[in-house]
Amino acid sequence: MDMNIETPEDQNEENSRRVQVRFKTKLKPPQKVPSNSIAIPSNLTRFGLSSVVNNLLQAVNPEWKSEPFDFLINGELVRMSLEQFLLAKGISAEKVLEIEYIKAVAPQKEEEPSLHDDWVSAVDGSNPGVWKAGGVCTHILEGHCGAVSSVNIIKSDGLKYVTVATASKDQTLRLWKFDAEELVNHPKKIRSFKILRGHKASVHSIAAETSGNMVCSGSWDCTISLWRTNDSDAAGNQVSIKKRKGNNQVEEPQLEGEAISTLVGHTQCVSSVVWPQQETIYSASWDHSVRTWDVEMGKDLSDIFCGKALNCIDIGGEGSALIAAGGSDPILRIWDPRKPGTSAPVFQFSSHNSWISACKWHNKSWFHLISASYDGKVMLWDLRTAWPLSVIDSHKDKVLCADWWRGDSVISGGVDSKLCVSSGVSIQ
Amino acid sequence: MRERKKSSAVEVSSVKKKKEKKTKDNNEPREQKEKEESQSIMKQQKNTTSRSKKEKQRKATEDYQSLRESELSGDEVHGTDHDVDNADDHHEEDQTDGSEGHRGVEESDSSEDEVAPRNTIGDVPLEWYKDEKHIGYDISGKKITKKERQDKLASFLANVDDSKSWRKIYDEYNDEEVELTKEEIRLVQRLLKGKAPHTDFDQYADYVDWFKYDDALHPLSNAPEPKRRFIPSKWESKKVVQYVRAIRKGLIKFDEPKEEEPKFYLLWGDDSSAAEKANHLAYIPAPKPKLPGHEESYNPSLEYIPTQEELNSYQLMYEEDRPKFIPRRFTSLRSVPAYENAVKDSFERCMDLYLCPRVRKKRVNIDPETLKPKLPSRKDLKPYPVACYLEYKGHKGAVVSISTEASGQWFASGSTDGTVRIWEVESGRCLRVLEIGEAIQYVAWNPLPELPVLAVSAGQDVLILNTGLGNEEEQRRVKDLLHVETPTAPDVLDLGLVEDHLLKNLLLALMFTLDGVFGRMASQGRLPLHVFHPTRSIFFVSTKKNIRVYDLLKQRLIKKLETGLKEVSSIAIHPAGDNLIVGSREGKLCWFDMDLSSKPYRVLKCHPKDITNVAFHRSYPLFASCSDDCTAYVFHGMVYSDLNQNPLIVPLEILRGHTSSNGRGVMDCKFHPRQPWLFTAGADSVIRLYCH
Repeated sequence: MDMNIETPEDQNEENSRRVQVRFKTKLKPPQKVPSNSIAIPSNLTRFGLSSVVNNLLQAVNPEWKSEPFDFLINGELVRMSLEQFLLAKGISAEKVLEIEYIKAVAPQKEEEPSLHDDWVSAVDGSNPGVWKAGGVCTHILEGHCGAVSSVNIIKSDGLKYVTVATASKDQTLRLWKFDAEELVNHPKKIRSFKILRGHKASVHSIAAETSGNMVCSGSWDCTISLWRTNDSDAAGNQVSIKKRKGNNQVEEPQLEGEAISTLVGHTQCVSSVVWPQQETIYSASWDHSVRTWDVEMGKDLSDIFCGKALNCIDIGGEGSALIAAGGSDPILRIWDPRKPGTSAPVFQFSSHNSWISACKWHNKSWFHLISASYDGKVMLWDLRTAWPLSVIDSHKDKVLCADWWRGDSVISGGVDSKLCVSSGVSIQ
Repeated sequence: MRERKKSSAVEVSSVKKKKEKKTKDNNEPREQKEKEESQSIMKQQKNTTSRSKKEKQRKATEDYQSLRESELSGDEVHGTDHDVDNADDHHEEDQTDGSEGHRGVEESDSSEDEVAPRNTIGDVPLEWYKDEKHIGYDISGKKITKKERQDKLASFLANVDDSKSWRKIYDEYNDEEVELTKEEIRLVQRLLKGKAPHTDFDQYADYVDWFKYDDALHPLSNAPEPKRRFIPSKWESKKVVQYVRAIRKGLIKFDEPKEEEPKFYLLWGDDSSAAEKANHLAYIPAPKPKLPGHEESYNPSLEYIPTQEELNSYQLMYEEDRPKFIPRRFTSLRSVPAYENAVKDSFERCMDLYLCPRVRKKRVNIDPETLKPKLPSRKDLKPYPVACYLEYKGHKGAVVSISTEASGQWFASGSTDGTVRIWEVESGRCLRVLEIGEAIQYVAWNPLPELPVLAVSAGQDVLILNTGLGNEEEQRRVKDLLHVETPTAPDVLDLGLVEDHLLKNLLLALMFTLDGVFGRMASQGRLPLHVFHPTRSIFFVSTKKNIRVYDLLKQRLIKKLETGLKEVSSIAIHPAGDNLIVGSREGKLCWFDMDLSSKPYRVLKCHPKDITNVAFHRSYPLFASCSDDCTAYVFHGMVYSDLNQNPLIVPLEILRGHTSSNGRGVMDCKFHPRQPWLFTAGADSVIRLYCH
């Protein structure tokens, strides 16, 4: 086994120093290497380290199929040669270096993009049931007369029926309900069961409460409105109207809802809202601010000003408290609101070339998030390194939306009318 | 006597002379003696014989004469038999001592000089008698004949035989040989040694204080001390007071301490100030040459030697920027070649001297950097549009005009391809394409948000278009508004038929142009540019070179702004209403402050080609100009509410990206109403959004 390791590095063995390392991992036994320390050349990069680990694993288990690993030293991912990394971080190479390895996070497989008729402006992958494998279109939600700007799947009690809320440029929000398990051969057209009116300008963003009873929406009229999603019986004041009687014989009653409350404070278009906890709503706006709202009080608790118009916001990361936001510049910023004086971002990722249109945290991992940009790229980030883990470059034009799907895939939609799915992202 | 001895000790001959002198002095007492002798004889004669006085006298003279003769002869003897004589002398001395005291002491020495001066030639050089047989005359006037001279050999032989010959001295004056005695030799030797001539003379004898009183009890004067010695002097104190008063009054001035000249001066310091101090009319200090450094050494260290790349880069430099001296290395001073520019340099020096102006020129040395206006840093003026992130593509022809919706969500653009497009700002999606059929000249979005309609000028017509945005209610209102009895086309209507109040605001500018107010200018074939004051009923219209300001209520001309430009191409008014920018076809941008004057407050010459449009931001202190050179300039234009403070204009950024098409560059620029973003419409049919 040792022979195997050394063969590729025999040539440059003379002119490189060796470092004593010990590999450790939190992975399960088949991926665990013996914990004795070995000496490896210090000019190895991530790829070299990965092949070392794979060789070690093969020595233990001959049937082991090599797979890429990523390596952490002192909680930071190694993105250069080991020597450079140690020099840059000022870590002594005298002691036995503890290197933790994790599975490399990168999409393994690019699935066939599903083509749409028009731009894909919003995706939500929070419910694994909506999308069939392979991205086959199952349902068409019909009814908006303006572009749909945002979509959110509201968790419903039963698995069978899925409720979806959409926000549209026609100044309305609509709620849809359909049977996810119903097998259909051709896409089924569904009409919304509830229309929420009240915004005076196009609605830009929608977010559902964790319980699914309420949704909030951010709009171009600078307000955030809260709506109730419950069935008509609970509210009781819905007016059933018949729409376009002539066109449709079989007409389901469409309910109309009104905003329970409106959060006023932003001075420009509210471009993105998230509702991660029962009591707080986070919103990003073109007035360059990120605001935290108390739902009960209807007041904003704190503002973060970043100087750029913001397009997207998401809450996640460590303790589900970090705010990631991107906007009218190529920098993805991450704030920690728990820190006092939070105006300065904790992390800034600037590998994109254009506006950032979407950013989403992975819902399990504290470190991983994706960002989509108008330069046509979706990037996968790890907080432990300043470089993107991987760049998904499947779109030809602007990427308008991106989300995680089923925990191991990235879906993204863009101006090229494609919905791309990159699967096999293994985040443990 | 002591002194005399000393003086006589100089040399032997002088001693001799002194002897003679002394003999002269001694003549007198000798004569006295003789007199006494003769007197006693005379007495005897008186007593015994009586002789005549004359006889006596004659006898006396005879005696004297004989005596003298005997003495003269005795002198001859004296030369040979000196010792005896000397003893006699001493004897005589002793004799005289008792009677004459000090005088005897003085004269005791001269006993040897009994010889009277025989020669009377006086003080003439003896050479005069060289050829004579005699040498001088004696006292009686007879010639003194020279002694027969022995021939040299004989005298030499005589000297050899004679053991005393070394003591013999020839006295030229008296023409005789003198033999010094042993005593005299010793004396001379003592004198030569610097001792006293006499052996028994003690040079260092104890001092005897003749005036010392051993038993003196009292001072010389026995008078008591006067009282005035013990009391302070009144006169002195008066004088002191007088001086003190004079000093206080300043009548007496003390010498001021001299200002010390600085001992040191700056050796390498600048002489210019010293030159000014000198203030000579003609004095022009020569410029100090730069002192040679290490690089001028014949063997400078390696860091001074330029590398080949540097040498090559020197070749690319301008002649005057090129370094005059390129350091080179030589192993020894011997191998340094002659200075190749020697002739050239001296020629240039001559030319300098010949052409040098003979007057001092007052040249103002100003750092050009200081002439630049103090502008704030661009960093402090953020945000302003910097980079282009979004492009709106879709038009087929040059985009001529753009207009944003009030909220900044949408904007419309008109192109020469005859279409008006409505875009979503955020995503770059073209929402709607409105075919007009004619090349669009201008598009304007209704500033009222509740009426999303668009005014478009195309060809000879002004069209009001429904954008189709907004909710159903708004759409209904728009449709009501635009509804006409005989619609030519849905959503499009001719201006002349509009009767609605709401539209009047929108169309006022257009109506004015049609109303014939400016018909004169229109008839010249030029569309006059115009702009409304944002708050007051004032209207700005540009002629070719000037801007006229009209009051709409009073319907008269208020002001005329003189631009000084060749041809005005665009105007824009600051949202506060007091400032106006004017772009011209020659690429100049004028900023007018209406409160200041009718002349431009500032003229910015930035574009090399025509300025096509200028724009102010609604809320940020920004303005922009776009030009046919495919660039747009963004400026910071801060207008202060304080009337004393003039507007601050800072150029911020040149926005590039458009390509030229048919010689046209950027046709229009508009700011986003709420963000510090700039839309530029290019002749290359692309609209770009520059973000901060």
